[in-house]
Amino acid sequence: MEQILAGVVLIVSLFALLASGVWVALSLLAVSLIGFILFVDAPMGLVLATTVWGANNSWALAALPMFIWIGEILFRSSLSRNLFSGLAPWLQRLPGGLLHVNIVGCGIFAAVSGSSAATCATIGKMSVPELRQRAYNDPMIIGTLAGSGTLGLLIPPSIILIVYGVAIEESVARLFLAGVGPGIMMLLLFMGYVIAWALFNPGKMPAPDAPLGLVERIKRSGNLIPVLFLIIGIIGSIYLGIASPTDAAAVGVFLSLVLVWYSGELTWELFLDSLKGATRTSCMIAFILSGAAFLTVAMAFTGIPSALASWIGAFELSQTGLLVALTIFFIVLGCFLDGISVVVLTTAVIVPMIEVVGIDRIWFGIFLVLVVEMSQITPPVGFNLFVLQGITGENILKVAETAIPFFLLLILGVVLISYFPEIVLYLPEQMNR
Amino acid sequence: MRQLLDRLYAVSGAIAALFIVAICAIVLLQVGFNLVDRIAQLVTGRAIGLVVPSYAEFAGFFLAAASFFALADTLSSGNHIRVNLVIQRVPERQRPLIEAWSCLLGALVSGYFTFWAGNLVWESFEFGDLSPGIIAVPLWLPQLSMALGLLCLTICFIDLFVQVCRGEQPSYRTHEETLAGEE
Repeated sequence: MEQILAGVVLIVSLFALLASGVWVALSLLAVSLIGFILFVDAPMGLVLATTVWGANNSWALAALPMFIWIGEILFRSSLSRNLFSGLAPWLQRLPGGLLHVNIVGCGIFAAVSGSSAATCATIGKMSVPELRQRAYNDPMIIGTLAGSGTLGLLIPPSIILIVYGVAIEESVARLFLAGVGPGIMMLLLFMGYVIAWALFNPGKMPAPDAPLGLVERIKRSGNLIPVLFLIIGIIGSIYLGIASPTDAAAVGVFLSLVLVWYSGELTWELFLDSLKGATRTSCMIAFILSGAAFLTVAMAFTGIPSALASWIGAFELSQTGLLVALTIFFIVLGCFLDGISVVVLTTAVIVPMIEVVGIDRIWFGIFLVLVVEMSQITPPVGFNLFVLQGITGENILKVAETAIPFFLLLILGVVLISYFPEIVLYLPEQMNR
Repeated sequence: MRQLLDRLYAVSGAIAALFIVAICAIVLLQVGFNLVDRIAQLVTGRAIGLVVPSYAEFAGFFLAAASFFALADTLSSGNHIRVNLVIQRVPERQRPLIEAWSCLLGALVSGYFTFWAGNLVWESFEFGDLSPGIIAVPLWLPQLSMALGLLCLTICFIDLFVQVCRGEQPSYRTHEETLAGEE
């Protein structure tokens, strides 16, 4: 009974704090303090200091600033232009033509970057002007970018998976492996949709560019070599189990710097700007994680998560029932909060609950990413929408409208991994052997 | 005064950035050692066994230092995220009330936190707590980064609160508007 009261008080105060414009990390800290003062008999200040220290002093989390830094460096380089000119000659023959460059480009960039906004921004700044110049259908240009930008979070490295792994103390490397299958699956779903759309709407497709000879195509593909070299350097070492994600991230920073140096773009300005951006973004995320770590402890003291877990357990809800409910809950939550906040809030309360129902924690991490991806492209709060608004100059509602088919494809993705959990779990299980 | 405070945030932000470079450097060094070892094993059949002692632990300490030292700079440059949905609807005339509330709450929570972080440092110092790794570091040293970073954050919140009370636009808001697109 007391737990119901505590739960209601804490939820109401959390939403009041968030709505009144208090910074997310600060809201999490404040609501935990409220919980402690009202419902917990423990040395609050001491717990606060040790918990937050423990959450920040973390080897696994050290991968975070470095993966963000890689994205910041590459965003400022000519990589996106190279991706475009390397991919275009091969993909333009497919129905849907250069729209596929958006999707495959995002997929490739996602394999070196951990954030969907960075993926969207880097690919979009090059491809939007190019595709518009060729008179491609505008909603499709924006929609494909909005949709496939979300691959940035799914295809490892992934900032959200680092945050989730650190918060629930699960191996980040295994989570990364689990993201590969679903990432490729979503890539194919997006491409399949574009092909189908192009076949049904031949009138909306522009005339293709003059086809290039094979030699010229291969020559242009040379532009892809630097990025492939990066992907192999970063991801290869994780997949092969040589390096932990943190090692791979440091190697990635080094390789990205070598890459921009090689192309003659490395300046002090680029170095300092990218470093500054990475420092701030990583600090912002680490501060939210700190708040969430303290909230997790406060919650555990109040006994709310275990009460909730046994309450859900008593319903004998099926896994499907619970997942449908959670999906809806997350989409609603994601309308107001950014992805990382959603994930950290979840780990405090919901992970104990899903374990009661027998859902795998790694599988749930991927499920969470897919659902968070949906929230990245739903208004009013969605980072990808903000990014695309900046690139395309369209207003946010129009951008969101173009993303609807891709939102539905993400839901299809969730259904698919629910029926075929092997898509997620096959690779991490191989790692055990 | 204004200059001094801005300098404080900039310097602590720069320290944070240096720590991120340091994480990268120490991890790369270890990766390089691994590589040399592997080559040595191929050539001579025996690994040299090169390691940077406690490098994972140091990376953790550096990360904590980077995250805490960057707090104030991240706040004043508008990079800490908040939910804008509701407060955007508040008329501009009442807006300072909202900002004052957020900054005041921030100063209180952060001040309380600073006190206890300082307490943690003091206790680690008094009991002579050491880190568990091969190189045993007195724990108060890395923990000091938390206390100092939070102190800067508290100063920054108070600074922002004063800015709002004087009827000025707090620094984070001018940046927030230009930065709607960045993550």
